[in-house]
Amino acid sequence: MRDFHGLIFAYNANPELRELVSLRTAASLPFCGRYRLIDLALSSMHNAGILDVGVIMQRDYQSLLDHIGSGKAWDMSRRSGGLRMLPPFGLPEYHTGEYTGTIEALNTVASYVRDIPQSHIVLMLGNLCANVDLTAAIRQHIRSGADITAVCADHTLSGMHHRFVVGADGFVEKMLLYRHGEDGEGLATLEGYIVHKDQLLDLMDRCKARRLNNFHQDALPLFFAEGGKMDVYVHHGYSQVVRSVEDYYRVNMDMLCGENRRSIFPADRPVRTKVHEEVSSYYGEEAVSHRSLVADDCIIRGQLESSIIFPGARIEAGAKIKNCILMRGCQVGEGVELENVIADKNCSFSAGTRLIGSDKLPTVVPKNSKI
Amino acid sequence: MKKTCIAMLLAGGQGSRLYALTQNEAKPSVPFGGKYRIIDFPLSNCANSGIDTVGVLTQYRPLQLNSYIGNGQPWDLDSADGGVFILPPYQSAGEKGSWFSGTANAIYQNMGFIESYHPDNVLILSGDHIYKMDYAKMLREHLAREAACTIGVLQVSMEEATRFGIMNVGEDGYIREFEEKPKQPKSDLASMGIYIFNWEKLRAYLIADENDPNSSKDFGKNIIPNMLAAGEKLWPYRFEGYWRDVGTITSLWDANMDMLSPTLINLYDPEWPIGARSPVCPPHFTGDHAEIIHSIITEGCEVDGHVENSVLSTGVTVETSAQVVYSVLMPGAVVEAGATVEYAIVGENTVIRSGAHVGAPPDGTDAWGVATCGPNIEIRRGARVSPGAMLYTGEEV
Repeated sequence: MRDFHGLIFAYNANPELRELVSLRTAASLPFCGRYRLIDLALSSMHNAGILDVGVIMQRDYQSLLDHIGSGKAWDMSRRSGGLRMLPPFGLPEYHTGEYTGTIEALNTVASYVRDIPQSHIVLMLGNLCANVDLTAAIRQHIRSGADITAVCADHTLSGMHHRFVVGADGFVEKMLLYRHGEDGEGLATLEGYIVHKDQLLDLMDRCKARRLNNFHQDALPLFFAEGGKMDVYVHHGYSQVVRSVEDYYRVNMDMLCGENRRSIFPADRPVRTKVHEEVSSYYGEEAVSHRSLVADDCIIRGQLESSIIFPGARIEAGAKIKNCILMRGCQVGEGVELENVIADKNCSFSAGTRLIGSDKLPTVVPKNSKI
Repeated sequence: MKKTCIAMLLAGGQGSRLYALTQNEAKPSVPFGGKYRIIDFPLSNCANSGIDTVGVLTQYRPLQLNSYIGNGQPWDLDSADGGVFILPPYQSAGEKGSWFSGTANAIYQNMGFIESYHPDNVLILSGDHIYKMDYAKMLREHLAREAACTIGVLQVSMEEATRFGIMNVGEDGYIREFEEKPKQPKSDLASMGIYIFNWEKLRAYLIADENDPNSSKDFGKNIIPNMLAAGEKLWPYRFEGYWRDVGTITSLWDANMDMLSPTLINLYDPEWPIGARSPVCPPHFTGDHAEIIHSIITEGCEVDGHVENSVLSTGVTVETSAQVVYSVLMPGAVVEAGATVEYAIVGENTVIRSGAHVGAPPDGTDAWGVATCGPNIEIRRGARVSPGAMLYTGEEV
């Protein structure tokens, strides 16, 4: 895919992710025992042969930089092109403090976008939990002759989202902004777009002139008003945009279901990530592990049920862990009981601790906590 | 650029006593201990000891080994002024070219590679041992003792000593005599097949040995005895810790079982990481019926059966009600529902169909042994593989 360049949005401030994003962006949230959410967007690009990719960041991006490094894990450390991390270069004149909109984000790196050598750009969210077959989406984009192709879900998304209604000619006839969980007309966009570079620059420039910030609210109406043709590519399989603690908990727990897991990790479109440790996990004599995902480098002597355990966990005998996410390096002492808990990196729970969260809203234990 | 010490890793042997497991690949690339291949141990030891230049001598079925080693990145050996180099046998101008005819000949044929780094010392390693060792410590002793050669030795029991090359040392601590598998051992210091040579000295002995038509071109049989006879200073470096030769099915199985016990060898030690090149797989999944006891499970596995005292490599499947006991399952092996695997080694991507039964617990008879299925075999539904069996790729069962 030499004619396509990737841009991944990893700037999003999502206050509903609370403590989970106090030190990182949504795109670098740990996912499914060893990944970060952005691995999915990067791998989707990689699997479609898109190796020239820019990652647009704004703040709290240290964890993202650590994770992505040179882009080697995704084959994006290239002699020419490859991966570029893009903090804001310059703020647009109309900027009013911290930027919020996609168009505004693009305008902070406008010089990079202008210098992209490829004719087309694929935009994706860094906090999208889906393994999108971009090869198929691009093929459809070329065949349909559309100006823009939107990647949409095959089901209703929970939380706020935008929807497109497709008309009789196969192109989008109506856009429905700011919908919530309810079913209804149209298809929910996963905010992945395939667009000609000149088209995108034109929308960026015109929004800038009008002091407009948002892609869906501002740029797309301009596009539709001029008769722009938008096609919709439906992504069949698991998809969810992660914007809140509930979303985060759900996308992880959903991976305990084999069907969802096979949709996110299909054999022919592997998900790549930074490789850390190289040692298997060990289960002791009294260990129990049911319906759980356990990464490498764990030592399990206690009981696990419906939980996701990241590398480096040490779970002592008699501990009971149910419906939990334990991020990298958590230490769980003897007899500890945890239920509906998301423990951030390097938390330790001393023997006998009991922490039960609500099944509606799990308890988040911040990074490096000692309980 | 001048180096204090570079390493030469002898990885060309077939490992014929692993039979089906080395039918199509060299012993050093046989999977081991969940995430690893045997060669990960010497390569990681080099990287952790600060040795950044490693020549790997390959000969037998080198494809997997070569692609596994690649640029050496998983072991941090992809350095700018050094790195890991695959050294196959080659043809020279006007010569027919020849295979490596012995360990010493393999090094002799690659003197050009060694010379290009102008090393003061050369570390000779073999690719079939499981151990963690700081070669830098050995090098310091080698230099302090002003030895021509320092040999890694391990203290063994007198009964075991008959199976090893044994070093007899004098009162000053230097090696006086080397005996290969002595019937009446005079010492309990066994050679680990790890040598550090002063390169200038080794170079001279290699050339002399190459010109000796009666020599078998072997370090243990020729070079070391020749050095002793000439009165060179040979120092034994005493290694304490876990070290296993994995040259036979039983020893490979035993060493895998040892990985279950962190008191023997701690693989979770962040100070001495063992690197490996592995595919990125999701974490392993344990189903509602999974029972996992005293076992090692690796990423990409799906376990819904009973796994006890076993080592599961990457991407192994154990279906509901399957039993895996005291066994080693190599990458991609599948044990279907209701099948039983006990006291067995199952090769890469081999499938044990429903109801099949592989291996049996020891019954005290001499006929008993670990059952071995080579890679890419299908064991049919309800089939029986007897203990001690050896199934080769291409066989129908």
